This record gives sequence, C-alpha cells and structure tokens, in this order.
Amino acid sequence: MATGISSLWKYQAYQPRKETAMFDRNKKGSATVTPASSHQPATSPATEARPAATSGPVAPSANQRRETAVIGASIQIDGHLRGQEDLIIEGEVNGTVNLASHTLTIGNQAKIKANVFAHTVFVDGTMEGDLYGAEQVLIRKTARMKGNITSPRVSLEDGASFKGSIEMDPDAVKAAISGVSSTRSTSSASSASGASPVTAVQSTTAQQSKAG
Amino acid sequence: MSADAGGVNAPLFRRLLESQSAERRAVVLDLGPARMETVALFGQFRCRLEFADLDDGLDQLNGEADPLLLPQMAESLLPRRRQEAADIVLCWDLLNYLQRPALMTLMARVAARSRPGTLVHALIVYSAPRMPARPDRYAALPDGRLVIQRTTGAECAAPRYTPEDLRHCLPDYTVESAMLLKNGMQEFLLRSMRKTES
Repeated sequence: MATGISSLWKYQAYQPRKETAMFDRNKKGSATVTPASSHQPATSPATEARPAATSGPVAPSANQRRETAVIGASIQIDGHLRGQEDLIIEGEVNGTVNLASHTLTIGNQAKIKANVFAHTVFVDGTMEGDLYGAEQVLIRKTARMKGNITSPRVSLEDGASFKGSIEMDPDAVKAAISGVSSTRSTSSASSASGASPVTAVQSTTAQQSKAG
Repeated sequence: MSADAGGVNAPLFRRLLESQSAERRAVVLDLGPARMETVALFGQFRCRLEFADLDDGLDQLNGEADPLLLPQMAESLLPRRRQEAADIVLCWDLLNYLQRPALMTLMARVAARSRPGTLVHALIVYSAPRMPARPDRYAALPDGRLVIQRTTGAECAAPRYTPEDLRHCLPDYTVESAMLLKNGMQEFLLRSMRKTES
C-alpha cells in the first residue's frame, strides 16, 4: 500500500495547492489511503492549474469556487473509486467509479474499463463498461466507448464512436438509476463520514516509475 | 448515386416511425454506427437503442470462409444479447456490402434476436452498377427524410440484390413493402416471421 500511497500523492502536481481535496490528511474520518507525513509535489509538464484550497478543515462556503480533482495521465488505478466532488480522469481506471452527485469527465487520454455512476458524465476518451448518468451523459466526438448507457438525457457528438445500448425509456432509466444508487450508498455508508472526497478503495496500484 | 444535401424522402422509414407508439416500449437495433440524429429521433419514444456499428466488421464477415465459424462471428459483432427482443432493426445500406453467405448468416442472427413481427428497414442499391466502396452515413430526420453522408470517394461494384435475392438470403423475413427512391435505391420494409430464440 505504501507504494500506492506515494505514487498517488505525486499526482498532486496537477493540483498546485497546499492541501488537496483528494487525499487531505486534515480531513477527519477513515480513508483507505492515508497520505505520507510530508511530500514534495512533483512537477510535471502536464500539470493543469487548479485552484488553491484553503488551509485547515474549513467547510466550503456556497460561493467558494468548485474544485475538481484530477487523475493524471500517468496514473493507473485498479479497484473501486468513489468520491464527493467533481473528477477528471486522464489515466487508467479498472473497476468501478462512483461520483453519485458529481460530474465525471473521462478525458481525452483516459482509458477506463469500469462501471461508472455519476450525476453527469462527459466522455472524451476510451471507455468500456456500463455508464449510469443520473442527470445526463455526453459522448464527445473524440470518445471511443463500448458498453451500455443509462441516463435520462444522452447526447452523442458527430465523430464519436459508440457500440452498445442506450436506455432512453424514462421508467427503465429511473428504475436502473435508483437501483444502482441505493446499492452504492449502502456499500459506501460505512466510510462516508468525514472521508476524503475521493478515495480509491481496496486494491489500489499505481506505477511509481511513471508517476510525476 | 449522389448525396442529396436536403435528404432523400424515405416513405417506408417514415411509416416505421409512425408505427411506433410513444407509450409502448420498443427496442431498436441499429446495425450502423451510432448517430446523434438517431439518438435524438428515437429519444422521443420509450425505447432502448442498440448500436452494432457493423461497418468495421463487414470485412471480417465477408472474409470468414468457414461456414461453421460465421454464425459465431456474426453474433460477436452484434450487441450483447438481452432478454428483450428487438422491435425494429435499422440496416441502412449495410446489406449491400455483405456477400451472400455473410448476409444470410448475419440476418439469421438478427432474426434470432427479433420477435415475430419485428420490422427491418433496409436500403438496397437498385439501379446503379456501382456504389460507394464503404457504407454511407445516414442522418434520420423526424419527417422521415434521410440525409446521406458519403464516407469515401472510392467505388465498387454494387450487388444489386433483387427482391428475389433478398427472399432467398433472408428466409426469416417477408417483404412487407418496397419502394424506389429518388437516389436509385430501393427501400425495403421487411417483417420477421421467426420466433425469438430462448
């Protein structure tokens, strides 16, 4: 796990802020991945500018600019990824992704082999799996997707490659989303309180050699 | 054949749309690539849309010489089988690009996923001896017109399947209606007669 932890910390290079929303040691509650006591944020040419977080465990105000976590292109995650903030994935994820009330962006460089559940999903990269969007799903022109989409609103841009099914029956969508939502809230209830906004649960691996 | 920017009037496609009820759930199997127009069009119905995107698999199907392996290959190119049978199958112009063994095998697999009475819509090259080397892309409009987008400038010989050819190659179907279109294609509406496989 220590190998995974130090590698995961390195992708904070994409978020130049003193404390990250993803693995914030000051946040209370259990977290499967515990950050190291000190770290040197690695620099990366692919760093994206991210808004700096406030220090200390301050509850975000309604006007505070929304922060988006990023999983960089060099990161690979195997397991269950869940969170309580918006997320951009540029790396590889195998397993499941659950951002029940937030927006997930599967970036241009991302390779996802997972079942995904989020409020809103934008797909720009490669994905194989079932996708549940409680609000909407947008498959962009650079997307290469194979799987099944269940969402009340689905858009497909010209040029997008999609093979699979799109469930558009409102009754079937409602039943499916409710079913998935209740299953996932049951499984995450035990670690919900004070947990880091985004956690990778169970087997989490990352390649150190590629990190940073 | 030339692409018509305003769209080709396709009366049988319009008839197919009009036969759909907004209240009754339907499963639509589209053998072509996923198109936003198709999603938008069928989004007004209570339906599940399945996209097979067979364009890339055509060469595979035509190239499979072993008749025992062909059904398996055809099945693997179609979306994962579910309990619900397809109510509508959209072939667009794909059938023109399948050689007879592949055509018979693929449509037998499609029939196995259909229920008795499933409607199949297809566009068959009729008058021109040559056709585009790859399938065109079709944007279906709500009024039943089809906007055709060429995907290649290259051409190849057109099989020009006759209704008799289709009856022979598609024994699980009856030709419900056929109509000649302005662009030289023949539009077919076929109905499945085969029982759904369990």
